[in-house]
Amino acid sequence: MSSVSPVSTAAPSVIKVQKTEQAFLSLKGLHKSFGPYEVLHDVSLEMHKGEVLAIIGPSGSGKSTLLRCINQLSPPTAGSVSMDGVTIEAGCSSSRNDLVKLRRRIGMVFQSFNLFPHLTVLQNVSLAQVRTMGRSKRDADKKSLELLDRVGLANKAELYPARCSGGQQQRIAIARALALEPELMLFDEPTSALDPELGLEVLAVMKELANEGMSMIMVTHEMHFAETVSDRVVVMAEGRILEQGISREVMRNPQHERVVQFLRAVRDR
Amino acid sequence: MNELLGLWWEWFPDLLQGFFLSLQVTGVCLLLGIPLGLVFALGVSAPNKAVRLIFLFVVELGRGAPALILLQYFYYGLPSAGITFSSFTAAALALAYCTGAYTSEIIRGGLEAVASGQREAADVIGLNKLDALRFIIVPQALRIAIPSLLGFSIIMFQASSLCFTIALPELVSRASAIGSNTFQYMPVLALAGIMYAVVCIPATIIVTSLEKKLGASSQT
Repeated sequence: MSSVSPVSTAAPSVIKVQKTEQAFLSLKGLHKSFGPYEVLHDVSLEMHKGEVLAIIGPSGSGKSTLLRCINQLSPPTAGSVSMDGVTIEAGCSSSRNDLVKLRRRIGMVFQSFNLFPHLTVLQNVSLAQVRTMGRSKRDADKKSLELLDRVGLANKAELYPARCSGGQQQRIAIARALALEPELMLFDEPTSALDPELGLEVLAVMKELANEGMSMIMVTHEMHFAETVSDRVVVMAEGRILEQGISREVMRNPQHERVVQFLRAVRDR
Repeated sequence: MNELLGLWWEWFPDLLQGFFLSLQVTGVCLLLGIPLGLVFALGVSAPNKAVRLIFLFVVELGRGAPALILLQYFYYGLPSAGITFSSFTAAALALAYCTGAYTSEIIRGGLEAVASGQREAADVIGLNKLDALRFIIVPQALRIAIPSLLGFSIIMFQASSLCFTIALPELVSRASAIGSNTFQYMPVLALAGIMYAVVCIPATIIVTSLEKKLGASSQT
């Protein structure tokens, strides 16, 4: 059993990714506190390369915090994050280099897009390639145009983000993250700020990425998407993982009482 | 009326020279002072407490001391310590310090107004702190601060009139000299006042419309 959960898990033997060898990403005993409030309590989780993981659960359950702990945007209070040989221990100040190494391999897409409003779409996607990967501006722009084309937005390259719709902005944000050739993509409720129709364009791009074998962790409220696209679903509540397992099994036949209650509430909505 | 216009015509070339000097000293003080304000703003927001306190002291000194004291200190005070400046240099340096101290607060407000998501986005795409400031945070902060910085620039143009106390032959010095020679203080000071207004009133209108324009674009 490579996926570790404090409570219960679905049968591991049938999970596709567990046929692969060592864990690609491993979170061990993560705690995160904001002042006196502990938001994550001893969360452990493993995932394998090429796996697509959906984290679902009620608001305030620590899903986004967990995602932000993975790339250390919000450093955990205790525990460790390991990714393919690089380990960051909470509270260990000696690992600044490791932190940079880790971050460069992880792309992140935010709920509110966070595109740079003063830069054109092309500059948004090219900037980090030039500054962190040492690509020439010409090569970076070429790569950016390929990526924008891939998300269907090459024709918006010279516009400023404010001229694009929400769905387009989120697809640009995905292109920006992909430009750094990440090995893992984190999506923090990427469609929550979008109306359902615009959300679909973003989900289509994510589905394509998943099909291409990108390792992905997404925090989402799109239950159907979580069930059909992800390999595994992790359900969180009150800062703990309550249940995890093959998406269809967890969604159709949840074991934990709180998960049953949550999924019923979502379906009845 | 004709007599007044005749006097103005006679004094105008001399006042115009002073006017250009006023513009020059204002220009230099802003060119030095606003970047200094950015440095002060970053220093005051530095994570290191000692650095923060040093910058805070320097900024509060600049904001606390009247511009007139700074001018007098740079021109009359520093020579006692063996540092002597021409009146133009002393004026430019004193007003640049004053500008740096005041604009640091304007720029710091701009830096803090940049959405936290922008820093996070810069972080996750791997930009280091300096690149994040240079390419993401400072351009947006300055854009937010531009109307206030321009408003402050108008005030500094007016404050450059204080330089007449350190023998800089700018607009007010020349008007005052003409007044003392001719005892025609009222008409000469009125003309000097009009010359200031010719710059300040249109500049204020431009700043106001820019404020509206930037305010509207930030809501899109």
